[in-house]
Parts: sequence; C-alpha cells; structure tokens
Amino acid sequence: MINQLLKIASEEWRYWFRTKLAISVLFLMVCMTTAAVVITAFNVALQTEQREALQRASEKAFIEQPDRHPHRMIHYGHYLFRTPPPLSAIDPGVDSYTGTSIFLEGHRQNGSTFSGQQQSTGLSWLGAFSPANVLQVFAPLLLIIVGYSVVSREKEAGTFTFLKVQGVNPLMLILGKGCAILSAAGLVMLPLIAGSLFALSKGESGIVTFTFVISYVIYLCCWSAVVLFASVVSKSNRGSFILLICLWVATTVLLPRIASNSATVLVNSPGKIETDFSVLQKLREQGDGHNANDPAFSQLKANLLAKYNVDKVEDLPINYKGIVAQSSEKNLSKILNDYAIESMTQQVEQAQVARSFGWLSPSIAIKSVSMQLAGTDLENYHRFLVEAENVRYKFVQSLNELHAHEVSYNDDNNKYKNEDTREKAKVSSDNWKVLDNFNFSIAPSEERLTEVKTAIMQLVFVFFIFIALTVFSGRRL
Amino acid sequence: MENLEKNNLVQLEAHNLCVSFNDRPVLKNISFQIKAGEVFALLGGNGAGKSTTLKTFLGLIDATSGNVNVMGQSVSDNPNIIRQKVAYLPESVMLYEHLSAIENIQYFLSVAGVECDETAIKNALDKVSLQSKSWQQKLSFYSKGMRQKTAIALALLRNTPVLLLDEPTSGLDPVAIDELNELIRELAKSGTSILMVTHDVYGACHVANRIGLLRDGNIVGVFESDNGASINTEDVHAAFAQGVVK
Repeated sequence: MINQLLKIASEEWRYWFRTKLAISVLFLMVCMTTAAVVITAFNVALQTEQREALQRASEKAFIEQPDRHPHRMIHYGHYLFRTPPPLSAIDPGVDSYTGTSIFLEGHRQNGSTFSGQQQSTGLSWLGAFSPANVLQVFAPLLLIIVGYSVVSREKEAGTFTFLKVQGVNPLMLILGKGCAILSAAGLVMLPLIAGSLFALSKGESGIVTFTFVISYVIYLCCWSAVVLFASVVSKSNRGSFILLICLWVATTVLLPRIASNSATVLVNSPGKIETDFSVLQKLREQGDGHNANDPAFSQLKANLLAKYNVDKVEDLPINYKGIVAQSSEKNLSKILNDYAIESMTQQVEQAQVARSFGWLSPSIAIKSVSMQLAGTDLENYHRFLVEAENVRYKFVQSLNELHAHEVSYNDDNNKYKNEDTREKAKVSSDNWKVLDNFNFSIAPSEERLTEVKTAIMQLVFVFFIFIALTVFSGRRL
Repeated sequence: MENLEKNNLVQLEAHNLCVSFNDRPVLKNISFQIKAGEVFALLGGNGAGKSTTLKTFLGLIDATSGNVNVMGQSVSDNPNIIRQKVAYLPESVMLYEHLSAIENIQYFLSVAGVECDETAIKNALDKVSLQSKSWQQKLSFYSKGMRQKTAIALALLRNTPVLLLDEPTSGLDPVAIDELNELIRELAKSGTSILMVTHDVYGACHVANRIGLLRDGNIVGVFESDNGASINTEDVHAAFAQGVVK
C-alpha cells in the first residue's frame, strides 16, 4: 500500500516536472520563503544589535549627565528599546506597527515609537515580506496552483476511471495525490525550519520552536486537505481552481477583515480623543505636581505638618516640593495605569473575538499561533508597555526621592536666584545610577504554549473537517 | 478432462440485467453467460446499450435490477476486487499524455499492484506492433491507433482471466485489426473470457464464438459458430441491418 502511495505521489511529481508550470511556481515559492527567512533573519539580527547598542548608549547618556536638580533628570528622561525575540526572525508580528522604543519621563506615559510602518513608504500596506507572511498568505496560493488539478485533471482526462478499472482504489489514488501535495508543502517548510533552528540557536526554547514548526506543518496540512477536497469534488479543473480561489479569498482576505471589524463592534472601546479628554480631566483634579501650592495638595501638606509637628513647610526635615512631586506622580500613575489596563483589556478582548474566527479560517488560527509563540503578539507588546511603565515609575520616584531628601526646600525655592543657589539645588551625578539594566523578555515558554492551545485546536479541527469531507467525497467517486 | 471443466466455468454472467438512467431504460432484462476461453461479442448500433453493459461489469454503472457476476462474484458487492480480475480496453483510450507508452504501462501496472519488468512491457508493445522508435515518445505525439495499441499492451500485461473490449478495433489500421483479432483468439485459447462490444460486424464474426445482437437494450438474437468455424457474416449483417433475427 505504501509502495502504491509513493508511486502515485512520485507520478504527480513527474507531472509537475514535465508540465513545468507547477515546478516553476514551487521553485519560486521556495526562493521567496528562503529570501524572506534570510532577509528577515538579517534584519532582526541587525535590529537586535542596534537596539542593544542604543539601550546601552541611552543608559550611558543618562548616567553620564552632570550634577543636576533631580527634577531636571526626570524630564531629561530615558529610552527603553524592545529587543526582538528570536522567533521574530520569522514572524515580526505587531512589532512593525507598534513601535520598538519608548521614551520614559515624569508625569507621562508615552506610547512606543519608531515603528517599521512609520518609517516605511506608503507601499507597506501591501504586506510585510516576512517568512510568516509568505507562508500564511502565499503558500496556500502555491498549493492551490500546484494541486488544484491533482484529481480533477484525472477525472477530466478519463484517467481516473481508467485507473479505477485497473483495480486501483479511488481513496488510495486520492491519498497518493494528497501525499504529493503534502511533499510540495514540505519543501516550502524547509526554509522555515532553517529559520526556526536559527531562532533556537539565538536562545528560543526548544519546545516553543518545535510547536512553532509543527503549527505551520498543520497549517499547510489544512491547505493541502482543502486543495485535495476541492479537486476531488470538482468535475473540472476550472471548477476546482475557482472553488479554491474563492476559499482562499474568503479565509485569507475577507475573514480576517470581518474578524477585526466584528471585534471592534462586539467589544466597544472609546476613541483616542475621548480617552485623552477623560484622562486629562482626571489628571487636573489631582493637581499640578510642579506647584506645591496647588490646593489639591493641601491635605498632604496638613498631614506632613502634623506628622513632623511643625507649622510651615520650610521647617520640615524633608523637601516638601519633592514629597508633592512623589505624591503627584503616584496619583497620576495610578490614573494612567487604570486607563492603560482598561484599554489593554479591551484590546485583548477584541483580539480574542478576532481569534475565535480561527475556527473558520486557518489563516487566522496560524496568525494567532505564530505571533503568540514568537512573542510578537499584542499581549507581549502590552507586557513591554507594562515593564516600561514599571521602569519609568521606579526611576521617576527614585529621582523624586532624591528631590525630597537631597535637596533642601530653601535651596529648591531659591535655585534660580544665582549661580551659587543653582549649584546648591543640584545633586551629585553619582545618584543617576537609578536605572536597572533593562532587558525586555517576552512571556515564558509555558505561558506562550498555553496561550496557543485553542488556535492549534482550530487548525487541527479545520484539517480533520476537510480530510473527512475528502474521504466522504472520494468514496462516492 | 481438467481443461474441459475449466472451459465450462462461467466467468461472466448477466442475469435479468436492467439499467435505467433517470427512469429511461437503457438495458432491458438482458441475460447471457460467457465461459472461460469464450469470446462473446455484443453487436449493436449507437445507443443500443453496448458500453453500458461493459460498464456494469466494471462496476462503473449500477444495475437497476438483476445481477452481474464476474467469476462467480457479484460486481456490486466489491467492484474493486472484480476490477483486479478484469482487464478493460476502452473505446477512447485514457492514458497520460506527458508519459511515454512504457512509462504509462509501468505506472498503471504498478498502481494496480502488478509486477512487471521493462522487457515484458517491450515484448507486449512489440506484440501489438507498436513501432519501437515510439516507445519512449510522449503519448501527446501518438495517433489514436498508437494509443489503442498501448492500451491493448497494458490489457495483455494485466494477464487477467477476463477481458472487456469496447470497440477494440476503433482507430486501428487494417493490418493492426488483423493482428488484434489474432491476439484475441490467442488469449481465448489460453482460457481468457472475452466480452467485446462493437458495431464492426466483420470483426465480431471473425473472432467471436458467439454474437449477441443488442437493440434498444434488448438482446434480440444470438449467433453461434459451429465447431470453431467463423459465424456467417452475411447472416449477422442482414440481422443487424433489419433488426430481425431468424
């Protein structure tokens, strides 16, 4: 039986070689995937190197600042760079849209900047030339072009019937054709496997890399089953090709759009302007941390005076302005964090709605698996924002602490009188070593593997549905 | 004695066979038997139901009622098993255009699970008089007759006890027709049961032991040869033309 399967599959390969079209498309596809893997791997390696260097340079620049007033250092700020995870060499995911660095400063939570999209030309909407994109979008097209006629061609030419009357089981013939399509898919997988091994060598977890590769194998198996099914049920090559192109457009182009639109309709989230106004309103109620006399801090002032048993802020053993800055930053950060968490929750809920369409579209399912395992999904971007906010809050409050304890209230008030008073309001640059070495790491492998379970089930589900349909249709031939 | 018993074995049998397409009867209660080593020709005009009869023996068309048996087994029970015992030569040869004659035969035999080396294939092609210079050419360069010869070679190599021929001389030149007829007689002598459908009266009379005249889905008459002599062509021709059998 195995021998017969191999004969049928190898005969299909001979047909592809002799007709040239299929083999040319296959060759083109392997070249495209290889080129995508090589280019993206080089880009990611370069970006990793650049961002690590920029991170070091940014930290060095901060630490090497001269003696200054601590609050000036808060506004001098600091950059954090997100180094790409190893598997982003295959799937850069949302990285190209969300930005790669973030500027940390007091009283503000900045969004990340310098995204690939911002720096690219207007043609970038055509789609990134990443291996993931090539495999998710173009590989199914290749399988369609190569395999749409595997069975319908035989039916159209009458060779299917002639094989049948030689005693060849139609299901055996279909299975053999399926093996041929799968082997073509396997060829396209080779560059991805090489890219994954590269990611493994760069520190990616073995089980994650394995699952990543297996997921793409299942995805291509899904499309192989779809192609085989269409060829089995269609009476003509034309019918098979039209059916497959319709399925490709529906699952790869239309359904992802429908999924994202449904997500925004089902999970309502306020717009940016609406949110910005709301945040601004709440921040105003908290008072201006730069103004120690802001009535919003009168309770804080009263509490401090009572605590230290003094009548006026000048008599406090600590710098009241620094305490106000600390308190203001704490309250402000809480408001900003609350909004950020709410926004992130809504975004994740929207993403989950969109991901549920993976039961209908293997393209959506593989996109979820691929980005989640690569650590380039929305959740890992949020993780970066949260880690960046922790760094920001810690470094700003460390400087506010210096402000409160290392600069006296009087010196602080008089800092603009002359050069001497200005110098007195400064603290030593030795204090700038408040920054920890920042090294963003994506979610641990166990967490990523747990996240992708549903999407892998979606792929397996689609695969078995089409296998069942193919067997059912094949039995009727 | 053993040979006699073997020759009395019924290899192909249609019993009260009826086939209808969308309530339109194509075969109407036909019955016949073909023993080992016998050549039975079904003769009829266009649309008489000749090819339908062959296809029911191959399990490609289901009988509406009645039975079709090959070597004692009902075709409808397990058509795949039956097909392994039957070689079939279609009217329009359906082989792969991108393969040569040798490659076609190798592929068809290998997927049918028949072991055969290249020498045997070349011998078979030689036997059907396909010129050796064309053996390695792709079938897309072949004439209809050359394709027919390739398919005949394939049928020979299957070495099955039953052979079904659908207009086997279609597209063949007169010399090739004679050679094919000779081959058919040889196969029958070796014990192969042959059901041949044709509208070639001369060819049928020349090779068949019996001829069934099929008209509008009915076998309207049967001609038999006497003691190995050919069936009288004129009688058959007259009956075929008039639709009346004495």
